[in-house]
Amino acid sequence: MSYYDIDSVLTDAQKLPCTFELEVPGLGVLEGNPGEDIKAGTRIDLPLWLGEMLSIGARLGTSRLVTLDMPEALSERVMNALKADPRTVDLRALAPHFYSLSERILELFEEEDMVDVLSDTFKKRASEIADHAHNSRGAVGDGVDFLRGLDETERQLFRAAHDRAKEMRIWSGEAKRK
Amino acid sequence: MDIDDILASVDRGAGASPESTALDHQQLTRFWVAERAVSEVLPWPAPLMERVMDRVRMQIETIEDLASSSGDTGTPTNATHNPNLNLRLSILQTDLARTQYIIRSLLRQRLAKLTKHSMHYLVQLASRSKSPFSQSQSQSQSQNPNMMPEDSVPDISAVDNVSPLSEQESSFVHAHQTLLAGHYGGSFMGSFPRTLRRLDDNAGGTSMVQGPETKEVVFARCLGVEVPVFVGGEDGEEEVGVTMRMGDVWVVRWEGVRRAWERGEVELL
Amino acid sequence: MAFPLPRGITPTEIAFLAEMETVTVVPRQRLEGLELLGGPLEPLVPPRRASLPLWLALLLKRQRRANIMPPPWLHPEALSLLLEIESQHQDYKNAFSPPPRLPGQPSVRDYQDGVMPTARPQYTRDGQKYYPAPPFLPQNVAQTTFSPTEVPPLPFHWVEVGNMLLDAASDDLVDPDQVRRLLKDLREVRMAKMRSGVDVMDAAAMGGGGVALTGVGAMEIGEERGFLTGVVDGLRKIGASKEQARREQMAEQRANGGYDGTQDEEEEDYMEF
Repeated sequence: MSYYDIDSVLTDAQKLPCTFELEVPGLGVLEGNPGEDIKAGTRIDLPLWLGEMLSIGARLGTSRLVTLDMPEALSERVMNALKADPRTVDLRALAPHFYSLSERILELFEEEDMVDVLSDTFKKRASEIADHAHNSRGAVGDGVDFLRGLDETERQLFRAAHDRAKEMRIWSGEAKRK
Repeated sequence: MDIDDILASVDRGAGASPESTALDHQQLTRFWVAERAVSEVLPWPAPLMERVMDRVRMQIETIEDLASSSGDTGTPTNATHNPNLNLRLSILQTDLARTQYIIRSLLRQRLAKLTKHSMHYLVQLASRSKSPFSQSQSQSQSQNPNMMPEDSVPDISAVDNVSPLSEQESSFVHAHQTLLAGHYGGSFMGSFPRTLRRLDDNAGGTSMVQGPETKEVVFARCLGVEVPVFVGGEDGEEEVGVTMRMGDVWVVRWEGVRRAWERGEVELL
Repeated sequence: MAFPLPRGITPTEIAFLAEMETVTVVPRQRLEGLELLGGPLEPLVPPRRASLPLWLALLLKRQRRANIMPPPWLHPEALSLLLEIESQHQDYKNAFSPPPRLPGQPSVRDYQDGVMPTARPQYTRDGQKYYPAPPFLPQNVAQTTFSPTEVPPLPFHWVEVGNMLLDAASDDLVDPDQVRRLLKDLREVRMAKMRSGVDVMDAAAMGGGGVALTGVGAMEIGEERGFLTGVVDGLRKIGASKEQARREQMAEQRANGGYDGTQDEEEEDYMEF
């Protein structure tokens, strides 16, 4: 987590399902019932920063206020889809900061298999990103949908690849500046 | 060789052989590429930069002298004496401009890193301070009811060793951060509660002081016979990963080859 | 203070660097020696050949004061052979053809026969070790003797030097149109190799790991730098928790005296790109 990095701050605000293990008086505001209590067993989506804070007890194995679940974006269904064909999944629709969210989740849950699936996804999609970025005519056909579905990390990757390729074409005289 | 040349070569002083000019130029170029390649500020090569700056100053004088002699080319004797004057001038000026470009790009790159991670470098320098005052300063200040953001800018006035910065850079970064903190204080932080006005806060497990990422990868060429890549960047860590061989080019983490770079056995591309 | 350029030198800066390569010229006029900031310049006496930095050679060429003798690799025959090696040779399916050797570096064959490199550093005035490397090695000077069996290797700054000489000195080259076509083909073959490198980039994402790109050109790095470093950064972050777990595990093994390093051996196999 980087203090001044806006993407890091936005990742912190992404939600994940939390289940309250204890009854908490007066915290109903989280459910949209100000003044009410929160009952044990209540399941609410909370922002990462809050869920993480409330679950600290759970991770230390002492009293646990809430337990965390995998967010929908990293559910088994999504992992299976990524294993089948990473290129067709719209990551942006799942979470705008899909990979940043994954990093944070992987710090909380020990999921080595998920690391492998995500690494493989990232590599395969990166190759596709490079192909589009080096295409001087811009996105065409299926490419448009694929590029729309890039998460924030991937968009930055696309930009890096695209800018350098363009600069290269300008230097070699294949394209004009601006 | 005529008498002017002999005098000129004496003026250059001891050790200013042509080989060392070329070598310094190569070192400067290599250092510039490296500085552009990594996210941290590299140790300032003070003696090298002094020699290069001296030569730049002398070269500017040489060019001015030569240019003023072209002012009286009206006389035919001068024109025949100096048939290539304009060509020589344009070569010298191009050479000068190229060197100045490297120096300027190098300095601007360093300033960009310094301003991006200003608190990181100030905290790093202040931790070496021998003055007991500046070390206890932060505690005494948290009690200060008039605490302002400027007060959390570390005092580096008693620090002798400003590496990796140059003297000028260390005073720049301190002045810069003080101005910035003053601006934050004046425009919004001043109206925060006293305890929220620091710029080096650690609350919530996220430090406000952000340093460069040394785990980023670089493109490196192995110049020594064999160079092992270290697993971690921490001092004293001896665990070794892959080994690069002479002439190899690798994509590796900067922290894994930093020490080999310091020894001159690796260059960054 | 704004510094607009991204990390790592950009294509324009790489070309600037390539202009420091030394080339061979045949001067068409006399010029006395000069003390430049890049080092001394030898006097030019036609028709004696001279070695000059490329930027100066180009300056003289544009003013018709000199002709540039192309480097041995910038020749249709050499480029055709290089293209064949890069695209057909079994050893270089997934690697670049070997670059020119550094001073003291044995050839690939000698290395396999056990000849060790003899890297002899110069020492700078500050007492630091200095091993010369491109653009400060004679990788682009004309050669007087040709070995018919050996293909001249592609130098580190081949894209830039080739491009600039085609641009400013095409009349000094043999069959410039053919050279231009071959350079373009070479670039495409090699760029495809660079791209396929994404598949093995995990190796560089772990501490102590790396991916070898030996033989890669400066401009080829420049073009792919932002992308490849972005890929490795992404993979490093995804794998951070796993790396942490692995390191803790290894530290534990070491503490118990059970660490024998076999884990590292295993990994080195797929690191060669």
